Amino acid sequence: METSRDDISIAIRSAFLRKETKQKFSLLALLIFSIILIASESIKYKPLDYLRSLVKDIIYRSSLVISFPTRSFKEIGNFTSEHINLYKSYEKLKIENDNLKKDIAQGSYLELENAQLRELVNDQVQSTQNLVSARIMIDKSSLYLNSFILNIGTNKGLKKGMAVLDRNNFIGRIVDVNFFSSRVLLITDLNSKIPVIIEPSGDHAILAGHGDGLPSLEYLAKDNKVENGNTIFTSGKEGLFSPGIPIGQVSLKADKKNVLLFSDINQISFVNINIGDLK
Amino acid sequence: MAIQFKSIKLSFLEFLPLFLLFFISLNGNSIIDFKIFSINLHYILVYYWVLRRPGSLGYGFIFLSGIIADVIFGLPLGVTPLSLLIVATVATYVRVVTVRISLINDWVSFLPALLLASFFYFLALYFSNFPIDYIHLIKNSFFTFIFYPILWAIFSLILNFMRSN
Repeated sequence: METSRDDISIAIRSAFLRKETKQKFSLLALLIFSIILIASESIKYKPLDYLRSLVKDIIYRSSLVISFPTRSFKEIGNFTSEHINLYKSYEKLKIENDNLKKDIAQGSYLELENAQLRELVNDQVQSTQNLVSARIMIDKSSLYLNSFILNIGTNKGLKKGMAVLDRNNFIGRIVDVNFFSSRVLLITDLNSKIPVIIEPSGDHAILAGHGDGLPSLEYLAKDNKVENGNTIFTSGKEGLFSPGIPIGQVSLKADKKNVLLFSDINQISFVNINIGDLK
Repeated sequence: MAIQFKSIKLSFLEFLPLFLLFFISLNGNSIIDFKIFSINLHYILVYYWVLRRPGSLGYGFIFLSGIIADVIFGLPLGVTPLSLLIVATVATYVRVVTVRISLINDWVSFLPALLLASFFYFLALYFSNFPIDYIHLIKNSFFTFIFYPILWAIFSLILNFMRSN
């Protein structure tokens, strides 16, 4: 019995402490260093933040180079499938175009009415559209984070919390800014909770991501009048984003109020960041 | 000329595990995630090579590839290195205490490595106030375990090829 306990302790010591052939570091030292790194994540200290930003910038750029072949394959695949679905898209667009033509007259009237009403209530909301474009460097999502890496950072005036748009549609917000790169947390992510307003009912809700491509509406009033096809806009209630940025349309399924996004998050290459939002 | 080609081939094979390790980290493929299943390639790669040919994968490189994976996936720095080093620790321990090499031995001993690594991964994320999708974590651990023999066979082929050269 004594001998077997000795064997185990020798094996453990050997596993942890021995630096074998070609091993420059001991496992124990690296394990302790990993724990220190995790603990230091919560420490806000400027030189440490600069170091983190530098490390992240270097890794993002390296990843961009390394992932070039796989990205090219993906692009070729997308290009091919787009061509295969060309006829189907054409038919869909034709129907959409007809519907839009019908809606134009209605839209102009609503625009006029909206302008008059805004004037009437002396609306203080001002959209400071000051957009900066960025290219998506990496779009790898983990099990825990649906995010993009952009090729600009503090060098172009980006700050945490800024709204990220695909054309005019809201798709996420900046959560991490480095010198030459930044991370966008998408609205589909588990962490994403955005205050929204539903038109035409005017109900307020929180748009919550679930890690899949289908966020849903939460904290709706009990007597809400949300219907299929209603449009979702940012409400601007959190004080970070401008109100009225379009997000998607309501899709009712059983008890769940899902939101079909206006933008296909898997097909985005360039985004706009509203740097006028944060003062 | 033939000798030169052989030496290039040999050094390429020698660095193949290391190349794979950094490629999957930088390319963001350390976790292959499909709708039905997800596999952690990183764990299998580290476990197999530390167990079978420790000289091919240095602990320092494993640590570094973990840091890269953390940055790419937006996790707190240190989470992936910690879990990868746990896998490496179990692999080193198993290597010290076992004599016979067989798929079953490796596969069974991979289970505690996987469970321990997932547990520390969970702890690290929990203390970093990171939201955890438990279903995903369980699914990932389960399918990583299930897929181990397939990658074991591929890596064994590479290892045999390395030895025969």
